[in-house]
Amino acid sequence: MTLLDIARGPALEWSLIIFAAGSLWRLVGALLVRRMTDLSEPRSHSTVAGGMRTVFTRMWPRREFYKQTLFGTVAGYAMHIGLAVVVFLFTPHILFIDSMFGISWPGISNNLVMFAGTVTVAALVALLIRRLTTPLLKMISSADDYISWVMTLLPVLTGMLAYAHLGGPYQTVLAVHILTVEAMLIWFPFGKLFHAVLWIPSRAQMGAAFQRRGVKA
Amino acid sequence: MSVDMETFKQFAQMLPHLGENAQVTQRSDAERVGSAKEQFLRKLDNRMAIELESCIHCGHCASACHFYTGTEDPKYVPIRKLDLLKRVYRREVSPLRWLHRLYTDDITVKDLQEWQELVYDSCTECGRCSMVCPMGINIASMVNVMRQGMARADLMPRELMGMEQEQGEHESLFGVGPEQMQGAIAKLQATGIDIPLNKDRADILVTTSVIDLILFTDGLIATAKVMNHLGVNWTLRSDGYEAANFGLLSGCERVQRKSSARLIAAAKACGARTVIIPECGHAYPSMRWEAANDHKQRLAFEVLSISEFLGRELKSGRLRLNKLGRQRKVTFHDPCKIARHSGVIDEPRWVLDALGVDFREVDSGKELNWCCGGGAGVFLINSASDLRQKAFQIKMGQVAKTGADSVVTACGSCRLNFLNGKMRAGWDKEVESLVEMVAEALPGN
Repeated sequence: MTLLDIARGPALEWSLIIFAAGSLWRLVGALLVRRMTDLSEPRSHSTVAGGMRTVFTRMWPRREFYKQTLFGTVAGYAMHIGLAVVVFLFTPHILFIDSMFGISWPGISNNLVMFAGTVTVAALVALLIRRLTTPLLKMISSADDYISWVMTLLPVLTGMLAYAHLGGPYQTVLAVHILTVEAMLIWFPFGKLFHAVLWIPSRAQMGAAFQRRGVKA
Repeated sequence: MSVDMETFKQFAQMLPHLGENAQVTQRSDAERVGSAKEQFLRKLDNRMAIELESCIHCGHCASACHFYTGTEDPKYVPIRKLDLLKRVYRREVSPLRWLHRLYTDDITVKDLQEWQELVYDSCTECGRCSMVCPMGINIASMVNVMRQGMARADLMPRELMGMEQEQGEHESLFGVGPEQMQGAIAKLQATGIDIPLNKDRADILVTTSVIDLILFTDGLIATAKVMNHLGVNWTLRSDGYEAANFGLLSGCERVQRKSSARLIAAAKACGARTVIIPECGHAYPSMRWEAANDHKQRLAFEVLSISEFLGRELKSGRLRLNKLGRQRKVTFHDPCKIARHSGVIDEPRWVLDALGVDFREVDSGKELNWCCGGGAGVFLINSASDLRQKAFQIKMGQVAKTGADSVVTACGSCRLNFLNGKMRAGWDKEVESLVEMVAEALPGN
């Protein structure tokens, strides 16, 4: 069994199992922590609408906070959008998803995907430099931040190398690329990458809580 | 009708001695840590679980914090203030606790001592950080849980400990108990102010605070004038008048419950359908949002802040006011606990509009308003004095940009902090109370 066979076979299966089971465990586990009932008289009953609104309004900081948040927000969006383009619009990825789940959609040109990958890597590097050089970010950073950074960067970087036929024999680089994706999937439920799941319930519950008190959050 | 600065200075001279009467309990380190953890675990719920799991360490909350912005000291980043709660959550509650325990240290008494400054001196629980967090983490509400843990460990600032113990054990604050309160009201009644005290039946129970009894008496007089002008059936009761709740401020739940229980009992005794909270920031959420949960029962009356009541009366047409004139250039400082925490945002603006003054909105106002730096008891903490003043610089700049001559607010703590900041910085702005302006504009006044 070659490295590529392992990557495409048991490693993929196990990483997906850990990804799904771990994510479910963490989300359901947090939701199942006991719930407190609020007996105060609400100012507004439109808590669902308030929660939904905050899910969307927190996608961009309010003008009052631009000065300190704009860099992080723009770099964050560049990284996330670039990553989404690479993952979901690169034709070989779509073919892979099709083979796994039987669904597909049109891809975009490889040059555009490479550009998106470059943007992602550049944004990740910029965010890391900022984290390492800003005292307040250094103060609140943990190993999770750096592990999650590596786990995000490696699949993009190895994917670009595989596409460009750089870094060694294609089959080996491709296998390494798939293994880095699997490492990311395994890490996903245990570190801060899990914010990709939590951003909706977290924003929604805060929006609902503020709406209950008559405040648009 | 602004308070006389000399009177305020006399009051301010008393503040450094507040902690001298605090009875500090001697306990072992293990007991302190155990008590703090027990409180954290008692309060952790699924809402906090989701939020504590969510932080992406972006640091955006710092941009909203007056203490970080005023000092640029990274230790004041708001989310960091929750570290101990987060560690207990991760080790004891999180679905991944079996993993977190491998690399998350248990909290120690040294940690608690270090965090005391972070959750008391440098956090007014203003909640502005919650308005910028991209993950929607309600940091202020969890800082309150941190304070509760600290309180259980007897590690709160002496000033708040002294006040909380006085309120809990003697039903008094600054030496003013029910007897002194009745004396103060009798003095006001002797000047011709009609204040119906201890009525058996009343529709509205008006509460006050010690600050209004000893310093801002004009605020209490103004409230009485408005009530009398409206012709409502109201009372002030000596068995339940103190709206300030040092249990909430210090984190002592027992005193928090005891203090709100007195107001609930007084309202019940006179059959009040409405309880009005005076111009006191934290007192409003203490009754409006916390009391029902503290006592595990829905309240049988509605709770209104005085500014909310005034706005509502104006909108209904029951209250009409004379115009004070556009020569009065004013801005409004939204008290965090009444606006951002409680949604009373439009009502004071309706009042200012009815007063016909030249009202100038601040940049970043309403639910995004900058805290004055003195809320949540921070005004009384001596060690927070310089930090508070640095935060107040932001507020001064915000007010200066409006070109207003005076700042109107609806919170006694904010007024105290403004007056203190004004005294220290030689600031030329006046500080006014909303209800006092309304009393000034009452027809026939």
